[in-house]
Amino acid sequence: MSEARLFKPRFNPAKPIFNIVVFLLYLFLLAPLIIVFVVSFASNQYLSFPPEGFTLKWYQALPSETIFVEGMKVSLIVAVFVTVVVLAIGVPAALALQRFEFKSKAAMEAFFLSPLLTPSIVLALGMVLLFGPLNLNNTYTGIIIGHVAITIPFVIRTTIMSLATADTSCEDAARILGAGPWTVFRRVTLPIIRPGVIAGGVIAFIVSFDEAVISLFVAESGLPTLPVQVLRYVENSADAAVAALSVILILISLAVVVVVERVMGLRKALN
Amino acid sequence: MTESKLSIVDLTKKYAAGLAPAVDRLNMEVEEGHLVALLGPSGCGKTTTLRMVAGLMDPTAGSIMVDGREITQEPVNKRGMGMVFQSYALFPHMNVEQNVAFGLQMRQVPKAEQKARVAEALDMVQLGHLGKRATKALSGGQQQRIALARALVVEPTLLLLDEPLSNLDAKLRDTMRTEIRSIQQRTRATTLFVTHDQDEALDMADRIAVMNGGLIEQFGSPIDVYERPRTHFVANFIGQANFLTITVGEDVGPASAAGERNYKIEVPGLGHFGAVGASGLTGRSLPVLIRPHRLRASLQPSASVQELKGTVEQVSYTGDTLSIAVRVGDEVLQSQLHTTSGSLPHTGDTAFLSWDPEHAYILPEHAKAVAA
Ligand SMILES: Nc1ncnc2c1ncn2[C@@H]1O[C@H](COP(=O)(O)OP(=O)(O)OP(=O)(O)O)[C@@H](O)[C@H]1O
Ligand SMILES: [Mg+2]
Repeated sequence: MSEARLFKPRFNPAKPIFNIVVFLLYLFLLAPLIIVFVVSFASNQYLSFPPEGFTLKWYQALPSETIFVEGMKVSLIVAVFVTVVVLAIGVPAALALQRFEFKSKAAMEAFFLSPLLTPSIVLALGMVLLFGPLNLNNTYTGIIIGHVAITIPFVIRTTIMSLATADTSCEDAARILGAGPWTVFRRVTLPIIRPGVIAGGVIAFIVSFDEAVISLFVAESGLPTLPVQVLRYVENSADAAVAALSVILILISLAVVVVVERVMGLRKALN
Repeated sequence: MTESKLSIVDLTKKYAAGLAPAVDRLNMEVEEGHLVALLGPSGCGKTTTLRMVAGLMDPTAGSIMVDGREITQEPVNKRGMGMVFQSYALFPHMNVEQNVAFGLQMRQVPKAEQKARVAEALDMVQLGHLGKRATKALSGGQQQRIALARALVVEPTLLLLDEPLSNLDAKLRDTMRTEIRSIQQRTRATTLFVTHDQDEALDMADRIAVMNGGLIEQFGSPIDVYERPRTHFVANFIGQANFLTITVGEDVGPASAAGERNYKIEVPGLGHFGAVGASGLTGRSLPVLIRPHRLRASLQPSASVQELKGTVEQVSYTGDTLSIAVRVGDEVLQSQLHTTSGSLPHTGDTAFLSWDPEHAYILPEHAKAVAA
């Protein structure tokens, strides 16, 4: 303790200014969240700011809003399937793109990463038109295909990042010791790239759970997801129930991240 | 001729059309139980050769045989080899025991036997107490030993080592050198060892394959390649070397080594000396090799022996040895002496160089020699 005092840094006037700037920046980024949080406990009859009093009625009302409960169910089912499917396609695709040389490699890479660069509204429109004749509009399959398309770039990115930093001689060592291709993948490659795969999966889950545009176009009438229900609700009524719902959604996302972080080390996975 | 453990016939690897082959019709026979060093400068094709033998890479042409059986087409996981990589390549998500047991699991060895063999292998590398350790919590030398144990526990047909010592510090490298050699001799594992360090090769190997530009310039025992290099390149790569271009004169009778002759040689314009070489060299102009520590230098002329007279250009004193560079005509020759307490020569002094005829070897200079 006393030793540390000897090295007390000289006062630096830039430091507090920097801290204030950083604080304001965070405030700006977090302001919408904070407002939603506050409003969800406000007794105002309509969505507005500032609050007039404290109440829990919006939260108490949520379970009886069947559209929210239904939407939540749809969204969770979709997100779970999307995560499974996107990992099943994305991880092998990343492996192929990173480890093998083949003719159409550049084209494949562009194909898998392109949804990142296409506005979702364009994708959504294309999908509605494509899904019509295939009878996929208003089906789980339709929404899941749409969400897989927009989440696959994330999975490929995070997986390729893990693959690029992994030592390929581990795989060579396993092969020499007698492991066939599948065993090498399961027992060596996959455990080594696990952080990237998990990060990709978590991102895919959250993106799918939050997604509104594609869901709106593809399945608004038949199979509305939670974000779609929220949009509809806000169109018709202007009370703070959506604010309470938003807080719940933030907590769910947070819970996913925390659980994954606890169980498998997401922070390690993300860098 | 005894059956070789490993035969490599005309092995060739071209990475891409238009590129010079990385390995160019390489031939080699390895005896059972031998440790063979693949020695050569960076980029000469050592790793490529080793990876083809391991099965990690398909040769463009040629064949590889183990125990007389062709394995060129056999997939890597069926070859039963053991390999230690430069980076050790331990599985980061498994502990030490799990790493070592991996090859046994692939062979479906019963659990109890696995346990016993892993313990035995770990004892062999003196790390029996670290079985439960995570591989991240090991020092470089320990990782190296685990990698060796993992390769040896499966009793591989061949043990392949790709520069296993290059990531270790100098002191540990010496220890591991001795240790790998003694383990190899105990297990009698036929071993290919890639290195670019000549001392390592001379110290550890039964046979050295000196590689250059994708092929083997010479294949022989350490004494062979050091004392009887076939080419200028080999002589230069293994140890330090002085060369003088000479004209081979009269054959004056058999030398001590079988098949070799004593010759009179003429250093053009500077006098007549003695040297040894293969038979039938009389009349040719060839390089003669004299190792620096066998080239005597003195400041006084001798009455009894023929000497080369030159000027001292550089003196370097390192306690144990004294190295001097002497200019003789167009050439600069290095001489290495054990120091005595006497006075040191100075730059500009006149020096007299001489050697025993058996220490001067006339290179046959068959440009590209094929493996014996
Ligand atoms: N994947 C590759 N594609 C194209 N050329 C390659 C490839 N790998 C190696 N080469 C070339 O083949 C030659 C032999 O390479 P190799 O790795 O076998 O050398 P090395 O003797 O092991 O060298 P070092 O001592 O540096 O490890 C080199 O000229 C190298 O540039
Ligand atoms: Mg190499």
